[in-house]
Amino acid sequence: MSLRRTLAVAQRVIAQIRHDHRTLALMFVAPVVIVALLAWILRDQAGAGFRLALVAPSPAAGILTQRIATEDPAVAVVTAGSSAEARQLVREGDADAALVVAANGGSPTVTIVTAGVDPAGEAGRVARLQGILASSLPALLPPGVAAGLPRIARATLFLPPEADPLDALAPVFLGYLAYFLVFVLTGISFLRERIGGTLERLLATPVRRLEIVLGYVLGFGFFASLQTLLLTLFVLAKVTVPALGPVPSFVIGLDVPSRGSPLLAYAVALILAAGAVNLGVFLSTYARTELQILQFIPVVIIPQGLLSGIFWPVDHLPTLLQPVARVMPLTYAVDALRAVMVRGEGLDVGQIQLDVAVLVAIAILFVGLAATTIRREVA
Amino acid sequence: MITSAVADGAASPEAGPVVEASGLRKAFGSVVAVAGVSLSLASGRIYGILGPNGSGKTTLLRLLLGLARPDAGVATVLGRRIPSTEVLAQIGYLPQGEGLYPDLTVWEQLRFIATLYGPWDPDRATAALELVGLTGLEGHGVAALSGGQRRRLSLACALVHAPRLLVLDEPTVGVDPALRVQFWAHFRRLARDGVTILVSSHVMDEADRCDELLFLRGGRLIAQGTPGELRASAGTADLEEAFLRLAGEGLEGSGG
Repeated sequence: MSLRRTLAVAQRVIAQIRHDHRTLALMFVAPVVIVALLAWILRDQAGAGFRLALVAPSPAAGILTQRIATEDPAVAVVTAGSSAEARQLVREGDADAALVVAANGGSPTVTIVTAGVDPAGEAGRVARLQGILASSLPALLPPGVAAGLPRIARATLFLPPEADPLDALAPVFLGYLAYFLVFVLTGISFLRERIGGTLERLLATPVRRLEIVLGYVLGFGFFASLQTLLLTLFVLAKVTVPALGPVPSFVIGLDVPSRGSPLLAYAVALILAAGAVNLGVFLSTYARTELQILQFIPVVIIPQGLLSGIFWPVDHLPTLLQPVARVMPLTYAVDALRAVMVRGEGLDVGQIQLDVAVLVAIAILFVGLAATTIRREVA
Repeated sequence: MITSAVADGAASPEAGPVVEASGLRKAFGSVVAVAGVSLSLASGRIYGILGPNGSGKTTLLRLLLGLARPDAGVATVLGRRIPSTEVLAQIGYLPQGEGLYPDLTVWEQLRFIATLYGPWDPDRATAALELVGLTGLEGHGVAALSGGQRRRLSLACALVHAPRLLVLDEPTVGVDPALRVQFWAHFRRLARDGVTILVSSHVMDEADRCDELLFLRGGRLIAQGTPGELRASAGTADLEEAFLRLAGEGLEGSGG
């Protein structure tokens, strides 16, 4: 092992990417734009208002309208004359949901009607309406009965109750983006080395296979560390730029709350990225063209995105898929990133130690695998 | 190792052979590229491997460097059995393909290769660029160079660490005649300093510049000797003619 040769490979990888402005943009601009877009979609949706067709007998209609106005002002109430009319409004898209209160003698029925075309969005609206109904009950019921009703309060242990989905998603999404981009870039770079005749020349020099792989890890690790740093700052920071002349004041950064050490999260993301470099070098053996490297994306990257717990907890996956998720490196990175950033845990927690150990082991395993695929016999 | 300059082409008696191979054989599937080659190369001489396309020249060079694993036979270079990383440090190799990184500058490319061989010495790099006539292009991107310039940069990469054995796979392809003369003058200077040079070529007019020629056909060594000896044994003044005659005999001799 020679540090000089390893650093020479790393330095060369860095020089190559530095000259390639489009790749630089892919590494530094694209992820920020993607995360910003994700934030925009998730946050604006969380606060989005909707139109409600309300059908209720006389005192209840007034009480509900008032509660909605104070509790969830984003909901616009459209009064409908009958259940049929309310359903018609929903069907034609003039209302996003209908709340139909029918006074069936002593026990009234409350029906929430939605179109049934957007299950996730509609479920969100239904939940908001149920909350309003629950808090309206004391006013709707006769005074004696209302006094005995429990009050429902909500508390959370980690993120605040008003947290939006981005607060849980952004910390792990960073790791995924870095993993994805680093894998594609190293896969293609190393493939070029194999097919462009440069590996032939390298192997005729005293450089050892392990030095080549570690040089790649250092070179791409350098960019991965800058990329992750930039993304982490963008996600966590909130920098208000004051108004200047005609330009109004604006905010840079997503201001996602972080409870744990961003440094630990950063280290986890880097170990994951190192694994991605080795995976890229390793899989480039099995590709003959750049297109074939891209074919690994649906095989390697997308399943990890779906199963590793970024969007759905691994424990909630179908039983058959859970073991699959547990052999994926991203699963351990997602678990560790979320534990650190959302739950505020540190390296003293056994689960994080395990996650980090597994990630390190996978990175080392793939360093070895990648090195063995670099044969002297290439052409 | 101190090698005496040998102007008359005789191997210095105290030094053993720089390259020694016996019974090298390599097949790719059913195609036999090198069919049992034995050779011995002395230090300070220029050897030319000549043969038509597909005669096994490149595969033979790759076997000698350890870039390909022989199916049979052994090769020893500078006293060590191939493959050997230590020996590679003393060899300069110009592959047939370019083997350059298009997204580096000329200087970065040279620096990278040189650093794999030893501590970075900018003076040597400057000298190598001067030799191949690329002085002034240090900051240019490799991708922007012409084909001939890339070939010259590739040669500079093979020379930059002052190797004791130089293996050049068709070094003058795409290089203009004036520069070709310069290259050969430099090869001769290096040989005088004790460097052994093994050049593959299918250009016969370059063959006369070598001290010794190895004719390769169908993966076999069919003749070996100085250009003069080969002409005499074939009974012709023209090397190309000599090659064709010897190749014909070689084929008959091998029993078809």
